[in-house]
Amino acid sequence: MVEIDPTELEIAELGPKITDVDDADELREMLAREEDGEDRAPVTTLIEDRIETVEGDDGEADPESVDLSELTVADIANMVRDIDDIDVLEDLLEREKAGEDRKTAKSQIESRMESVEGSDDEDGDGPEYVPPEEKHPDLDHPTADKQWVEGTQDGDYRDMWVYCETQHGELIDVSREMLGKGRELMDDYNDQYDESEDLVAVLIGDDVADLAEEVIAFGADKVLYHEDDRLDRFRHNPYTEIMTHMARAGGQLAPEGYEDVDWKAYDEPRYTVFPATNNGRDLSALVQGELDSGLASDCSGLYIENAMISNPAKTGVPGDSKEFERILHMKRPDFSGFEYSTILCIDKPFRDFHPQGASVIPGSFEVPEPDDEREGEVVEHDMDLDDEWFAVDVVDYDTLDSGVDLTGHDVVVAMGRGIGRSPTEGIELGLELVEAFDDAAFGLSRGVITSSYSFDGHVEQYIGEDRQIGESGQVVEPDVYIAAGISGAIQHKVGMDESDTIIAVNTDPDADIRDFSDYYIQGDLFEVLPRLTRAVEEGDLAAAVAGASDD
Amino acid sequence: MTDDYEHYEAVVVGAGPGGAAAAATLARNDIETLVLERGTDAGSKNVSGGLVYAEESSPYTIDDLFPDFREEATDRAVSEHYIHNVAGRSVKTFDLHDLHHHDTEWADAVLRRKMDSWLARRVHEMTRETGGGLLTEVRVNGLLREGGEIVGVTCDEVDPIRADVIIGADGVNSELARDAGLMDWEEPEEWFQGVKAVVDMPEGAIEERFGVDEGEGVAHLFSGDLFEGARGGGFLYTNDQSLSVGTVFHLDSIAEERHEPQELLDNLLTHPLLADWVGDEYTELEYSAKLVPDSKKVAHPSPHRDRLLLVGDAAGQMQAQGPIIKGMNHAVTAGALAAEAFVDAKSRGDTDKAGQHYESKLETEGVMDKLRPTRYATLGKLGELGPVDSLSDALVDSPVGRLGVGLLGDSLERLYNSPFLVGMLPDTKLGYVTLPTVIAEELGEPVAGENTVEPPELDDRIGDLTYDIDEGNPHIELRDNSFTASGTAVTACPVSAKDFGGGCYRDEYVTANGGEEHVVSLDTQPCVECGTCAVVADTDWTHPRGGKGVEYKQG
Ligand SMILES: Cc1cc2nc3c(=O)[nH]c(=O)nc-3n(C[C@H](O)[C@H](O)[C@H](O)COP(=O)(O)OP(=O)(O)OC[C@H]3O[C@@H](n4cnc5c(N)ncnc54)[C@H](O)[C@@H]3O)c2cc1C
Ligand SMILES: Cc1cc2nc3c(=O)[nH]c(=O)nc-3n(C[C@H](O)[C@H](O)[C@H](O)COP(=O)(O)OP(=O)(O)OC[C@H]3O[C@@H](n4cnc5c(N)ncnc54)[C@H](O)[C@@H]3O)c2cc1C
Ligand code: SF4
Repeated sequence: MVEIDPTELEIAELGPKITDVDDADELREMLAREEDGEDRAPVTTLIEDRIETVEGDDGEADPESVDLSELTVADIANMVRDIDDIDVLEDLLEREKAGEDRKTAKSQIESRMESVEGSDDEDGDGPEYVPPEEKHPDLDHPTADKQWVEGTQDGDYRDMWVYCETQHGELIDVSREMLGKGRELMDDYNDQYDESEDLVAVLIGDDVADLAEEVIAFGADKVLYHEDDRLDRFRHNPYTEIMTHMARAGGQLAPEGYEDVDWKAYDEPRYTVFPATNNGRDLSALVQGELDSGLASDCSGLYIENAMISNPAKTGVPGDSKEFERILHMKRPDFSGFEYSTILCIDKPFRDFHPQGASVIPGSFEVPEPDDEREGEVVEHDMDLDDEWFAVDVVDYDTLDSGVDLTGHDVVVAMGRGIGRSPTEGIELGLELVEAFDDAAFGLSRGVITSSYSFDGHVEQYIGEDRQIGESGQVVEPDVYIAAGISGAIQHKVGMDESDTIIAVNTDPDADIRDFSDYYIQGDLFEVLPRLTRAVEEGDLAAAVAGASDD
Repeated sequence: MTDDYEHYEAVVVGAGPGGAAAAATLARNDIETLVLERGTDAGSKNVSGGLVYAEESSPYTIDDLFPDFREEATDRAVSEHYIHNVAGRSVKTFDLHDLHHHDTEWADAVLRRKMDSWLARRVHEMTRETGGGLLTEVRVNGLLREGGEIVGVTCDEVDPIRADVIIGADGVNSELARDAGLMDWEEPEEWFQGVKAVVDMPEGAIEERFGVDEGEGVAHLFSGDLFEGARGGGFLYTNDQSLSVGTVFHLDSIAEERHEPQELLDNLLTHPLLADWVGDEYTELEYSAKLVPDSKKVAHPSPHRDRLLLVGDAAGQMQAQGPIIKGMNHAVTAGALAAEAFVDAKSRGDTDKAGQHYESKLETEGVMDKLRPTRYATLGKLGELGPVDSLSDALVDSPVGRLGVGLLGDSLERLYNSPFLVGMLPDTKLGYVTLPTVIAEELGEPVAGENTVEPPELDDRIGDLTYDIDEGNPHIELRDNSFTASGTAVTACPVSAKDFGGGCYRDEYVTANGGEEHVVSLDTQPCVECGTCAVVADTDWTHPRGGKGVEYKQG
């Protein structure tokens, strides 16, 4: 007798109920009833699924604890198929021996152990190397004569290298992010594999030596830099040559004269990490190609782990799994941004795929806290740069998003919604005050920028987000900050309160800005600003302000 | 080309209680389900009072669908419920025990960030098994149509997605409902506006000040002359370590009388009645606001079109049962019924019938009758003389009427406790303001407490919120910036105020064409996405892109 009669239920009612039934026989009887009755396809699937789950439960039993005597040999065969861990298999074998000691069961476990371990069997008959040209004579082999692409075999690889991109002589954020992540990865790596490999930062440019300290503070153990005036902006040819040269120095493929260097004693880096910026994408593809390895581009996650691989192209022997150690797992979103793939770059017989290389989407990792106490080794890389590499010249360039730079001035005059009574005139008064100083910039509160004030043509050009000071605008710290008609909202304050001297002009005796102003002139800006302008022109702003201030 | 679009059996838009219930039910029935949520985390956009009710008569409650819900996602279990009629210092308190317990299996206080993000994790685990999953930071911006028929959704962040069924659980101001022509955002009478402050409580304070045991909580409601005549009331619920203190008003009342919602909230926070509960150290953790639909007026009798099924606030299924607000529970029921409807339709081999099944389930399961009681349609709207209305304005204002109130005395408490009667209260000032005031004056006792709370100013409330600003991409645009068309938003917007330059809406005078014009300007950075200005101003109103905008930590 069954408790639930499917023929009396809607599928929607059955769905939740059926999960309470754990007895496969009962489920089979339910199935039979349904088949005798309406035989609704979704209902039968639902019941069949449930049967599978109920029975599958045993199959999914934890191999480390399951009672083997309860399993049939077929169950054991199914179970071991998913086990890659040799220790677990050995344990199973011991338990079978101690228990039922079935010959067939033991041979199932043993044969699985063999295929898991098999790959370590060095003396087995491995594959024989046949060069691709011989193996596939029917194809043309355009890369056969690419002499400059030189691969390694059974090479010696160490360290993680991070290419640190710079702009205008400063590290860009993603460089810091990669250093932070790299530090974390190599600390774990050294722990896990009991090694002492380094995080190496690579800097290339016209003036990068100064950045070595910063790079170390963000986590590098070693800095390799190459400076040359001609490297002032990114050009992929010389940059690629330099980085490849660095990667090969001191190893199997070392360029002439660089067979022995005192800063490196392995063939090539184990891992390389580049930023997935315009330049970084360019460089990463070229360097990894040149080193005859692969590249996982635009990654958003990295970790290092062993990987069990059964692909015969990698293991060399069909049917066997082999554990590859120390594999950089490179996670990247697919094109929809929905799903992630994890890319592994693994050596195969007769051809190594090292360095294991990734480019990283900016913002994927946190910028770490710099540790100014950290110490590291700084190495200047030397090599001759061929003029030909500079055959492509940069003749002209534009800096995008130049906007207005309000930083770096002695004085900033900023206007707020206090101009509302006569907006154009208010802006004019502010601009006149700016003019009176030798080096002053003109800024605005967001309240003005987002207003509906109508400005006359000649001042309109001064109204825009590129002049906004504050949380979502620019942060300034001039010697003197003059805030006229600004209330001092917290989001404005964070953009200016590091200024040396803050002078506020406001009609409200209690505006918030009073709390963080050095001088507070309570008054109408339309009257106060012209007086300040005059005072500046006459050279006695200080006296005028001190006289007018109520603080 | 369209064949290339990704396809799922079911797409659920929104991971509030409605979406979570729908997704869980779909996943249980092995339907391949993808859930899209615009917040950076489920709950980061959501506000409720809030008490989650589990109704005995309901076919689904949230703990049926999510077994550990009460242990993991809710705060205190509430079994005491009071309403305070207030006139100045005079207060008459009624115990709402019967109304609270009517049809109630349990009721728990919740904070939505905690609740929704817990639900979302469960939903993700369940839907992943079906080949789908839950994606945050994806905003659906419209419906995908083929040959005029709705077949999927389009998003800001990812390519269009096709589905056999689309569950629109995108809450109040549902962009999907509007796109499908099932709901417009025109009439302030159809909405409430809710505003809330979450107030920090020191360890042990709730137990001591409210006289409850650990894990147990209490609900207090407030009406009377606290709110400058605005139609609506206040609430106070106890969470684990904080209080949710808020107000809910008819939006037309807020709009017409130019009330400042944050000031009405402050009236409540600073009333002497709250002095002992709130204490001397006032720390506001979060200020928040959201519209709430009034199911009596907008619960859609047929909330589906083509493959789109609307559930919860998106379908107007938010019931104000007298002073008790029930939205989350109905969203859960509707979400599960919509999912069930699709499963039925699928098992009968005709998924296009899902909408019809859903509509009839809402009827047969009694949901529709709770949301749009027929007695309200016949009695309440017409303002006919029912037993409650017999205490009409004239009576209440006359000495005889007052005598009546006095004589009725505590039997008034029974009136308040009748779900039948409160279900047909007309939306007039009488029920919300006049009657409670008279009750307090005639029957109340003065409260003694001295309230020292100084609630933060709006600029500090905004300053304490977390925003991820979408620079240069305002999600609301003014269609008409004249004060006549959009000026109401200056006061009605919960983060704007007259004479406050730091809000979303500011009124300004500009000289143009030789004359002076009264206009409003809009900055969407402080916006908390409550939806008010979509109704009271002339705007093109959308939600910000996925992950952008305000991020509630409490909710
Ligand atoms: C102040 C206040 C007090 C309340 N008190 C109570 C109470 O005590 N008890 C009660 O039961 N109810 C209460 N409610 C009502 C209750 O909060 C709602 O009825 C309930 O949240 C509705 O659930 P829902 O799932 O329909 O929508 P929501 O909970 O609003 O969820 C909608 C989800 O969809 C997401 N979303 C929206 N648009 C998109 C889009 N385009 N793309 C992707 N995702 C989108 C949102 O981010 C959100 O996560 C209160 C409401 C307020 C404002
Ligand atoms: C997430 C977010 C980010 C933000 N980012 C920024 C930002 O980066 N930068 C920024 O500035 N704002 C920012 N804001 C806006 C900020 O909160 C304020 O709204 C804005 O700074 C207010 O501008 P205001 O001081 O000009 O205007 P108001 O606050 O309106 O102040 C005007 C002041 O002028 C005074 N006044 C009036 N008439 C006169 C007169 N005739 N003479 C002298 N004084 C007069 C008034 O007393 C008042 O104090 C942001 C807001 C949010 C929510
Ligand atoms: S701008 Fe509109 S949606 Fe935003 S908080 Fe104000 S009223 Fe609400």
